[in-house]
Amino acid sequence: MSDPSSINGGSALAMVGKECIAIACDLRLGNQSLGLSNNFEKLFQFGDKTFLGLTGLATDVLTLSETFRFKNNLYELREERSIEPSTLANLVSSTLYEKRFGPYFVGPIVAGLNSKTNEPFICGFDSIGCIDFAKDFIVSGTASDQLYGMCESLYEPGLEPEDLFETISQALLNAVDRDALSGWGAVVYLVTKDKVTKRVLRTRQD
Amino acid sequence: MNSIASQFTNNNNNIIRNEINSVTHEFAQQNSLNLVPSITLPPISQPTDFLRAHTDDETNPDCKIKIAHGTTTLAFRYQGGIIVAVDSRATAGNWIASQTVNKVIRINPFLLGTMAGGAADCQYWETWLGTQCRLHELREKERISVAAASKILGNLVYQYKGMGLSMGTMVCGYTKKEGPTIYYVDSDGTRLKGDLFCVGSGQTFAYGVLDSEYKWELTDEEALYLGKRSILAATHRDAYSGGSINLYHVTEKGWIYHGNHNVGDIFWDIKEQEKSFNNVDG
Amino acid sequence: MDIILGIKVEDGTIIATSKAATRGISVLKDSDDKTRALNARNLIAYTGESGDTVQFAEFIQANIQLYSMRENDIELSPKATASFVRNQLATSLRSRKPYQVNVLIAGYDTKTDTASLNWIDYLGTQVELPYGAHGYAAFYANSLLDKHYRKNMKIEEGLGLLKLCLKELETRMPIDFKGVYVKVVDKDGIRSIEGY
Repeated sequence: MSDPSSINGGSALAMVGKECIAIACDLRLGNQSLGLSNNFEKLFQFGDKTFLGLTGLATDVLTLSETFRFKNNLYELREERSIEPSTLANLVSSTLYEKRFGPYFVGPIVAGLNSKTNEPFICGFDSIGCIDFAKDFIVSGTASDQLYGMCESLYEPGLEPEDLFETISQALLNAVDRDALSGWGAVVYLVTKDKVTKRVLRTRQD
Repeated sequence: MNSIASQFTNNNNNIIRNEINSVTHEFAQQNSLNLVPSITLPPISQPTDFLRAHTDDETNPDCKIKIAHGTTTLAFRYQGGIIVAVDSRATAGNWIASQTVNKVIRINPFLLGTMAGGAADCQYWETWLGTQCRLHELREKERISVAAASKILGNLVYQYKGMGLSMGTMVCGYTKKEGPTIYYVDSDGTRLKGDLFCVGSGQTFAYGVLDSEYKWELTDEEALYLGKRSILAATHRDAYSGGSINLYHVTEKGWIYHGNHNVGDIFWDIKEQEKSFNNVDG
Repeated sequence: MDIILGIKVEDGTIIATSKAATRGISVLKDSDDKTRALNARNLIAYTGESGDTVQFAEFIQANIQLYSMRENDIELSPKATASFVRNQLATSLRSRKPYQVNVLIAGYDTKTDTASLNWIDYLGTQVELPYGAHGYAAFYANSLLDKHYRKNMKIEEGLGLLKLCLKELETRMPIDFKGVYVKVVDKDGIRSIEGY
């Protein structure tokens, strides 16, 4: 159980809908069996319509969230526009590969809408930066096995925003309820072409 | 009646010998019909090392056979008898294998056994303890004492010491001569009589709440609530405890079941009622 | 194992640290203070590998004080202090010889008039908590505080809660930790509370 990526626990999930995306995560931060915080968000916003989810070793989640905030700020100053989801994906990938021989123990996911075309984009990564492009959903974290099971059965393409919210919420909730290291609350971000809505889900607290 | 009883006891009493026989004669001898099952050992030179290498995830986290673990159980004596409260989660590694495990074994109408550690070990041997207690009744025409029942279990697990049994259990019951009694028995062979025990991965969390509110003079209602509340505290903080809470009250009339309480529901009720759990939003 | 416990209340943060300094099977000292004042309203409490702990805490202390000297007596806020400590630990984690130190940082921010408690472990895991502890103490204190902690408690009530936690630790912990030092960080600065 001294596997770095399952010391703190936590899970995240992204899904594509019709002209929208949703990204969600749990809120637990633990130290092995001991639950420490129920307010540890693993999702970070970049620009208007792009999100990065980071699960795994909490110290690396914090380090990387700061690193990417820094890099994104530089990008916005230089380019005078906000970053595209696909650009962020390549930035994440190359940043992770810089640590090829001493990796960050994280499982990042990226989800967003293209700023001009509003085309949905989601992808996931391994801990050293290999990008996994997907058209439907991406899962990550200690409940990833359970999340795959939930998504494979619940997901259907072309869902409207409200249906997508329902699907992603049910998938996350039921997956983390079968994982000892995830749960303790959850949040869902729903991104459509003209707005981002955040919803906090009320979950079991055991 | 006594002849029936003796038929099942004397011959098959020495379990370890039976096992050794079953290993050495495994291929040569067909076992005769045996109502008390014997436990086979892997036919290799060091069965204990083999078992530890493949099932004990504390010494070897990469072992492929994960045995269900993780629990919070408690029992305490007070003015009105005994309260027994347990959670219902079983985990294999980080996987929640079940949220509906029954961790209280009803040995007979006056005896309860709690379950922590290896789920199969507890379930099997406490059921076995039930048969031993029944045989005692048939032989002695008198209900077994809690001391004797717990000693049967204690001696049994001691025979298997070092072979990988994992159990932490409380034998709780009422007899005329003893009154309400709790014995803690674990697979090291420890057997302790006491007023208050919490056992399992969430024990410390349960102790935290229980110690701060416990007193001998508790009313039945207060005691039942405290038992439930202590387990709730443990299910909240301990990743390997959760599911629901099973509550029992043991009196001179035997044990009374006080229902199954789903943590998902009662957590929010109790939080609002007590104005506690201020670390949780919503 | 050392006891490091912190409780944040409305008007300040309380820190309790055990007095015993243990090496092997001997208690070497029963009056060991496991805290360092970083500046007027920031206190660090530490536990972990012997040697590393004091070295690290005093390194942090020196750097926080250096900052104040350079920046015209401006004091680093609790948030910035905690962030600095986390960053040091996270950097150290991937060095040849990482500091194995777990800390709690109690602070009071005079700009926003808020108390804070930051929990940071040797990996650089940082969380802001209403109450927290390192080591085995966390396994007893957390459930107790889950039950008895209220959001708008004052320091006096917080000290009452602390008493409850210490009583539990004294009854259930297998080794004698020789009592605790209790310190409070509030708008007036850092002060010791006697009689524990």
